Amino acid sequence: MPGREKRVEEYDVVIIGGGAAGMTAGIYTGRARLKTVLIEKALVGGLATYTNEIENYPGFPEGTTGLEMMNLFQKQAKKFGVTFKLTDVKSVDLTGETKIVETFRTTYKAKVVIIASGGRPRTTGAKNEEKFLFDKGISFCATCDAASCTDQELLVVGSGDTAIEEGLFLTKFAKKIYVSVIHDQGKMDCNEIAREAAFANPKMEFLWNTVVDSFEGDDQLEQVVLKNLKTKKLEPIKVDRCFEFIGYLPNTEIFQNQVKLTDSGFVLTNERMETNIEGVFAAGDVRDKFLKQVATAVGDGAIAGFAAEKYITESEVFYRIIEESRPYTLVYVYNAADAASRELLPIMEELEKEGKEQVKAVRVDVYKSTGIASRLNVTEYPCVAVVKNGEVIKLICDISKEKIQSAIC
Amino acid sequence: MPKEVVVDALGEACPVPLIKTQKAMKTLEIGDVLILKIDHSCAMKNVPEWARKVGHNVELEEIGDCEWEVIIEKVVA
Repeated sequence: MPGREKRVEEYDVVIIGGGAAGMTAGIYTGRARLKTVLIEKALVGGLATYTNEIENYPGFPEGTTGLEMMNLFQKQAKKFGVTFKLTDVKSVDLTGETKIVETFRTTYKAKVVIIASGGRPRTTGAKNEEKFLFDKGISFCATCDAASCTDQELLVVGSGDTAIEEGLFLTKFAKKIYVSVIHDQGKMDCNEIAREAAFANPKMEFLWNTVVDSFEGDDQLEQVVLKNLKTKKLEPIKVDRCFEFIGYLPNTEIFQNQVKLTDSGFVLTNERMETNIEGVFAAGDVRDKFLKQVATAVGDGAIAGFAAEKYITESEVFYRIIEESRPYTLVYVYNAADAASRELLPIMEELEKEGKEQVKAVRVDVYKSTGIASRLNVTEYPCVAVVKNGEVIKLICDISKEKIQSAIC
Repeated sequence: MPKEVVVDALGEACPVPLIKTQKAMKTLEIGDVLILKIDHSCAMKNVPEWARKVGHNVELEEIGDCEWEVIIEKVVA
């Protein structure tokens, strides 16, 4: 059936997701003059555009709206040459050296992929829920919205760690907090400490065996109707705001079986935003992380963008080392901050001179990054990797001129 | 052989671009592509939203300042 040919486009970096993390990554890779495309499935800005007020992002003392801030992010990314494509990613193949990202019209080939696809809070699915999401009365983030709940009456839905801990945090602001728990009296999904603190808190009232049946109000949420699962009775509760803490769903379906995910589907990374696959990074809410905020997404994006640039440069250096062996290349992997390692440098120069065009000496400093070293399988420093006709034939970590000489004849 | 149809909705305000799109999509076969030209920012929201809800493939491309193309591949009848 598909009669049209798919376009193929090549990029240095493909960023999947146009929220705060993805756009920040783009600002860094674009500014590093890497050819970057950012693919966003809906409109740019991500989850931040659903919040009316952002008051805890530094640099905006008067506060700003999520939409306004994200427009500025996009403007800045565009300034550095990032191309924006507004479409869904259908599938990816990240396992090879060249990464493949497919949309319905285009196949993107890239050296690096940055996953910044974010996630969405799980919702109850109750009646009229859509009408009140985010700034209309249903919140998903106490850190974001607690300050505007001063002296209000709230409903918290859920009984996991997040629900109870965030609920306790909300008691510092709110007058009263109802907690709707699906389980029988006394049973909660959270840890013991949170459970005890919640029971001891006079502002919290638990409504056992309940789920949300509907949300009611004109423009803003005014009351929530709970349904008791045992008695089947409906009970309306007047609240100013409802917080749902029943889970967060990361957008990682298309990465399953390639990228290592947690049991709940979040991407596992190290502090350099590297995933289990070389050349694939992740940033923002899609990661398994401690705090999901614009401020932390920006940090992730900066690291991922920087790491992507490093990875691409190191790949280029690595291939130059491998390809230009004549026939021998001696790669001296060392830490330039270590004086003893520096003292061995003259040996390398001597070997190159004596090798008469047959031997080339290259230095790789691991002080800032161990990327090239790990491609050469070098884990101890200093160490000499002997490359012959494009292949590492020997690693010499107990360095002496004689040992190296014997490896190259 | 799937065909491509261009619908010009430049200068049209909502909901005209959406109505034009819905009409045009009815005439297309599965696999055909509609290219809708718009310059009204509200259409860049409601047209893709509708098309995705129905289940079509959608791509939104910025052509110039305040000018977009919505590319829709018909996936469901």
